[in-house]
Amino acid sequence: MTVIDLKQRLRAQARDRLPAPIVARLRSRAGLRARVQALEEEVQENRRLNRRIAELTDVVVELLLPLEARDRSQVEEVLDRFRAGL
Amino acid sequence: MTVVVSGDGLLVPRDPRPLLVEIDGHYVWSLTPLRDGRPAAGGVLVPWPQALRPHLRGRGRIRIRAADGASVLYDDEVRLGASEGRLAVVDGAGHRLSVDKVGHLTRTFAATDADIRQEILRGARRAIDDLREGAGVAAYLNYGALLGAVREGRMLAHDSDIDLCYLSAHDAPADIVLESYRITRALRSRGWSVLRMSGGDVKLLLSLSDGRSCHIDVFSAFHVAGTFYQLGNRSGRLPRSSITPFSTITLHGHEFPAPRDPEAMLAFLYGPRWRTPDPSFKYADPPAGVRRLDGWLRGFRTEMGSWTEFYNGHRRAAVPRRRSSFAQWVGTQLGSLPVVDLGTGTGRDAVWYARSGRRVIALDFSRASLRLVRRRARRAERAVEVDQLILGELRSTLLHGTRLARAPHHLAARQLVGCLDEAALEQLTILARMALRPGGGSLFLEFAATHDGPGGADGSPTEPGGLVRRISPSVVRAAIERAGGVVHHAVVGPGEDIFDLPDPAVCRMRATWPTRESP
Repeated sequence: MTVIDLKQRLRAQARDRLPAPIVARLRSRAGLRARVQALEEEVQENRRLNRRIAELTDVVVELLLPLEARDRSQVEEVLDRFRAGL
Repeated sequence: MTVVVSGDGLLVPRDPRPLLVEIDGHYVWSLTPLRDGRPAAGGVLVPWPQALRPHLRGRGRIRIRAADGASVLYDDEVRLGASEGRLAVVDGAGHRLSVDKVGHLTRTFAATDADIRQEILRGARRAIDDLREGAGVAAYLNYGALLGAVREGRMLAHDSDIDLCYLSAHDAPADIVLESYRITRALRSRGWSVLRMSGGDVKLLLSLSDGRSCHIDVFSAFHVAGTFYQLGNRSGRLPRSSITPFSTITLHGHEFPAPRDPEAMLAFLYGPRWRTPDPSFKYADPPAGVRRLDGWLRGFRTEMGSWTEFYNGHRRAAVPRRRSSFAQWVGTQLGSLPVVDLGTGTGRDAVWYARSGRRVIALDFSRASLRLVRRRARRAERAVEVDQLILGELRSTLLHGTRLARAPHHLAARQLVGCLDEAALEQLTILARMALRPGGGSLFLEFAATHDGPGGADGSPTEPGGLVRRISPSVVRAAIERAGGVVHHAVVGPGEDIFDLPDPAVCRMRATWPTRESP
């Protein structure tokens, strides 16, 4: 049995001896902590989208648009096909 | 109490005041015992900073004094390590160095000639003009240069670079990043060598007549939801009205734009005691602000500095120059197609791939690696095209993907996937999907794989110094398959690490991408 397993078993045994309302309160607090942690991770994930939006915008504005100007007829064809596939 | 100097560090009194350390009369480091040390018998033991350690071999006179000049705590000849030479913290050209406030060794203004200082100030002035004329942003002098100008009427003795900031008109982080991209282009077109440090700050490398270069940092500053952010990592309350319209400040005869209320800016940066000199000052940035700045602007060069240190340091010599066994395995499957060596490192395999006269492209995110590969290819008289690829910066990935999509070739990457975070691994598969689109080529991978023994778990560090981590072959396979690739070969067995030392579990993988139908 690992130390973690042992700790979990001891916690479970301790909870079994506590009155139900206290157990519920402890569980809800632990649940809240986990939810806050998950929320923090998700917020950070969303913040990272800022750089991705900037990178994509930069590629479109600085790379794709100037390329477009060089070969208009072919780009028209690609755009038509892309539109048809939406 | 008695101060003790040893190879471990300095045993000093439990003192909240900053101290300066000199070797043979040259400033090398400042510290605040209660902040930087740990309690020990007889006082506080402050370990030597990592950057200084390689230089602490030999004899020298060490002096420790209070930063306010009130007292000398220690002044004696010492011997550190086994060497009998003189202690000297110098660069390759013999210039004196000291530890800056972020722990790097650097040359301070106290160790800089007046003529060179003038070159640095003229360079900063030119950067401000180029930012205004080329990029349309108004920059102001900030941080140490502003503090020196306001408090002492000169550059701070222990400062080592010039920091400029500009107040962005934008309040959405994505727009601030785009503005920074625009600034980079404008400055490069005006001849500046520019290093991107994050989505909101760049470093200009100013070449000096004494052969070294000085950094001029260009930081964005902006307000989001009422909070003021200023790169590096500052955040808090400072209204626009404290910054614009600018005031003017003079530094060694040069006029610079400064925040409208320089004292409010200095209090924001250094706290209410900014008027009292403290060379050991360290920022105490609000963690929530750092978290936001990390999320908005950073993540694509987290380990770039460590890899650069590795390629510039002594451990690089332990990487064999001969091709790896992986390259030999790949070499039998290449046919006549060109090969792209991703994460080329020392270029040992790239130079070998080029021996047959095939076209070889070597890509890496570390500029130190690229310099090394160029040099080795030149010496070996092999034609290797060398360029930077930053997996994690989508612009870089898409650019290389677009270029490579025009002709068939192979991709090879040894010990690369173990260096990548989730986002960068995803970009590797995007690159492979684009680059292998013409058909005929494969993606060849070798990486330290997970195993059941000690240190075999996913993410376990391997050499060098944890910069490469173990990764499960199933994670790599899933990433390839998500991007539309097909894994044809995946074998785990004993192999070698980056130094060619034995590794019990190394995975070799080959994948291809089905050719898409012509439009």
